[in-house]
Amino acid sequence: MSLSPLLDVRDLKVHLRLGPNVVKAIDGVDFRIMPGECVGIVGESGSGKSTMARAITRLMPNVNIAELSGELSFEGQDILAMPDGALRALRRGRGFSMIFQDPLGYLNPTQRVGRQIEEALSCDSSRGSNRNRVHTLLDEVGLPDPANVARRYPHELSGGMRQRVMIAIALASDPQLLFADEPTTALDATVQLQVLQTLYRLHKERNMAMAIITHDLGVVAELCDRVYVMRAGKVIESAETVRLFEHPQQDYSRRLIELSTRRLPRELQA
Amino acid sequence: MLRFVGRRALLAIPLLLAIIILMFSMLHLIPGDPVQALVGDYPVPPAYRQAIETKYRLNDPFLVQVGNYLANVAQGDFGFSYQNQRNVLDLILERAPRTMLLASVSFALAIPLGMAIGIAAGTSRRPGVDKFWTTTALIVYAIPTFWLGQLLVMLLALRLGWFPTQGIGPLISRTQGFAWLLEKLRYLALPVLAFGIHEGMRIARIMRASVIDTLSQGYIITARAKGLSRGRIIRSHVMRNSSLPLVTIAGYAFGSALGGAVLLETVFTWPGLGLLLVDSIRLRDNMTVIGVVIFSALAVIAMNLIVDLLYAALDPRIRTTR
Amino acid sequence: MPELKTSTAPAASSGFSIGSWQVHVANLFGTRHGALGASILLVLLLVAITAPLIAPYSPLEQTQASLAPPSSQFLFGTDNIGRDVFSLVVHGSRSSLMVGLGAALAALLIGGTLGILAGYFQGPVEAGLMRLVELFQTLPVIILVLCAVALFGSNFWLLIAAVALAIWPMEARLVYGQYIKLRDREFIAAARVADLSTAHIMFREILPNAIQPIIVQVALDASIAILIEAGLGFLGLSDPSKVSWGRLLFVAQDYMDSAWWMSLFPGAAICITVVGLNLFADGLNEVIDPRSTSGVGGLQ
Ligand SMILES: Nc1ncnc2c1ncn2[C@@H]1O[C@H](COP(=O)(O)OP(=O)(O)OP(=O)(O)O)[C@@H](O)[C@H]1O
Ligand SMILES: [Mg+2]
Repeated sequence: MSLSPLLDVRDLKVHLRLGPNVVKAIDGVDFRIMPGECVGIVGESGSGKSTMARAITRLMPNVNIAELSGELSFEGQDILAMPDGALRALRRGRGFSMIFQDPLGYLNPTQRVGRQIEEALSCDSSRGSNRNRVHTLLDEVGLPDPANVARRYPHELSGGMRQRVMIAIALASDPQLLFADEPTTALDATVQLQVLQTLYRLHKERNMAMAIITHDLGVVAELCDRVYVMRAGKVIESAETVRLFEHPQQDYSRRLIELSTRRLPRELQA
Repeated sequence: MLRFVGRRALLAIPLLLAIIILMFSMLHLIPGDPVQALVGDYPVPPAYRQAIETKYRLNDPFLVQVGNYLANVAQGDFGFSYQNQRNVLDLILERAPRTMLLASVSFALAIPLGMAIGIAAGTSRRPGVDKFWTTTALIVYAIPTFWLGQLLVMLLALRLGWFPTQGIGPLISRTQGFAWLLEKLRYLALPVLAFGIHEGMRIARIMRASVIDTLSQGYIITARAKGLSRGRIIRSHVMRNSSLPLVTIAGYAFGSALGGAVLLETVFTWPGLGLLLVDSIRLRDNMTVIGVVIFSALAVIAMNLIVDLLYAALDPRIRTTR
Repeated sequence: MPELKTSTAPAASSGFSIGSWQVHVANLFGTRHGALGASILLVLLLVAITAPLIAPYSPLEQTQASLAPPSSQFLFGTDNIGRDVFSLVVHGSRSSLMVGLGAALAALLIGGTLGILAGYFQGPVEAGLMRLVELFQTLPVIILVLCAVALFGSNFWLLIAAVALAIWPMEARLVYGQYIKLRDREFIAAARVADLSTAHIMFREILPNAIQPIIVQVALDASIAILIEAGLGFLGLSDPSKVSWGRLLFVAQDYMDSAWWMSLFPGAAICITVVGLNLFADGLNEVIDPRSTSGVGGLQ
């Protein structure tokens, strides 16, 4: 691995205006990912995990932003200052992508999934070769009979299939970094495992860096090289996965680990 | 999907029956002589009175009368207009194409106009742009079509002389080909402008609300994550999805317009169904009134069916679930 | 069918306190649209009430000058028989507002009652009532009113009834929708469990929660009623014994080439009234659903 990080975030602040109040959703976070690395982000609900991922990928929804500051550099380029055109170019090829918790809402209900994947391909070439690339992607994310799936609408697919389609869309631009925001929360347990395995395989095969946001420390223990523990808009601890599980520095991390190990046996049964 | 539409069509039949029965019953609520109620305020020769009484079975029980009337309507017999000395159906068939022309051209103007304004207002990042269009649409939509018509006539026809003030042009035209079309268009221009602007603003308001709703959906974030340009996102993700609620409301408005744009046709003396209805009401020519009302209900119901089809074409979820 | 957004329901509070009303009024004036709309309506109401004091002439008085253009003597000019258009417009506000308010409230009464009945008694009553609503909505509003006028004449009170008859389905739909949305909420269920009477549930629990969208609808209905009344007047089918803006436009139609003021001022009065009602409704919507204006909009 090279020594310079793929993504380097310093002192990121995202303050949102909610009526008369300002919510400090992210309040001074440092975060980095090396090329090809898999990082986990954990923390209680509302701790700012999603907001951080969205701020970094510049995919904030329509919220009233009071402050958005910090240094965000991706391969040495400053993402925050980047003009829209350059940002689009980065998203279209070898940049970063994101997948979301609820694949049904994040897929357009009125378009066939094949077209939605095709739209994300890094550069437009001829129709025929685009279709082949779509089928290859669907095959790669583990969907049998790609030609058939490509012709379907999102509501005609199962939850697991939809999330795989989302992954195919994210991979279409051949990104170097993939953010996965609770990619399996909406799925049932057996499907969760399969989707996670697929993600992990793709991460290894493509040497693609990955940041997984999850509530499930079991997932982190299995997949991630390093972990960030977030609470109230701050990173309170970051460490190699093994170190964190063996010697958590913060009470909060320790409690999270205890909670998840107590849950683990049931998960294994499933 | 065909089954879905078929079922809607079946549901529409009792609705139409109910309206016909309702209209016929209302005739009976008119105080006074039922024959006179049917014919209007004219001195009726005894022979004609006799014919009406037998045709509509006015001396039989009410239910028989209704059944008899329904049977007549089913055979396309909407009665005879004493005032016009013509069959009501003939009158309607003569007027309907003119109203249809007016309504179609107006909506052909209103839909792109309204959609463009709605999308511009809904997708703009600058609050000023949204405010401007929202306020414009609100104020312009509040202008009654008939007054807008009067203003256009006073300004563009009387003051500037660009367009004729009323009518649909000479019945026997000496011009041909392109010149003929141009002449027709000159007569069509003002009513279409008034109607199109009004309906356009209605569509703009609905479209804006719908666009804002669409923009809050997850798939817009996905589209942004793909690195698509704004224009591309609007074209392939915002427009179609935001048009869904529009289809219902614009479809209903268009259906109503087909039944006669009453006020607008009056301003411009456009001899369509609306003018026929108003004239018949003034002259108490109730056979014609009822005929036009039934026809306009039919137009709305038919339009609603087309809306269902269109909806299914736009939203694949409908196609599979029903 | 596409999923409908259900999140716009007002916060469920089972209480109905005066304090919350004061807050809403304050909020209404806090929104630019609401403040403007409410002011327009207040001014119009004042004009209507004090019409005889404001108008320099009686609406029936025929001065020597006919078709006189606007001047310092006749602010809005005079009509074909020498009546002062300004005085006519001022007096016309009365019938417009009366029809608007009267018809909207009557529609609320009919529609609200039927909507609640449909929501409360599920099953055949519900289905039957909703079919009735559908039946009325099949005929365009203006045609319905025209038919009623054609059959029963154009007495002023009959006119209000006819307009109400044409617009009640919108109210019924709204009240029914609100009712259905709230019917299954926990606090209603709780009231049922607590064995409170039907009337109590309807008027103390459900009504306060549904009232705001209903007020919005009443304002919009009033604007539609005013437009219909103007339309009837314009067709020459309104009550001839009442001065009304629509009827002034009916007369103006014959003098478009010589007296633009006969059309301009009454038409503008209709517009301002309708805009006022719409702004008022907009402002109220903003207060109910602040989400719609908070934050930034548009596509990034
Ligand atoms: N659209 C929004 N508008 C206003 N505030 C928001 C919005 N989204 C998030 N927030 C606020 O930002 C903070 C962080 O929320 P975020 O969704 O990032 O948490 P999270 O860690 O992803 O939680 P979860 O595990 O439930 O997904 C919260 O306090 C939340 O209230
Ligand atoms: Mg989250």
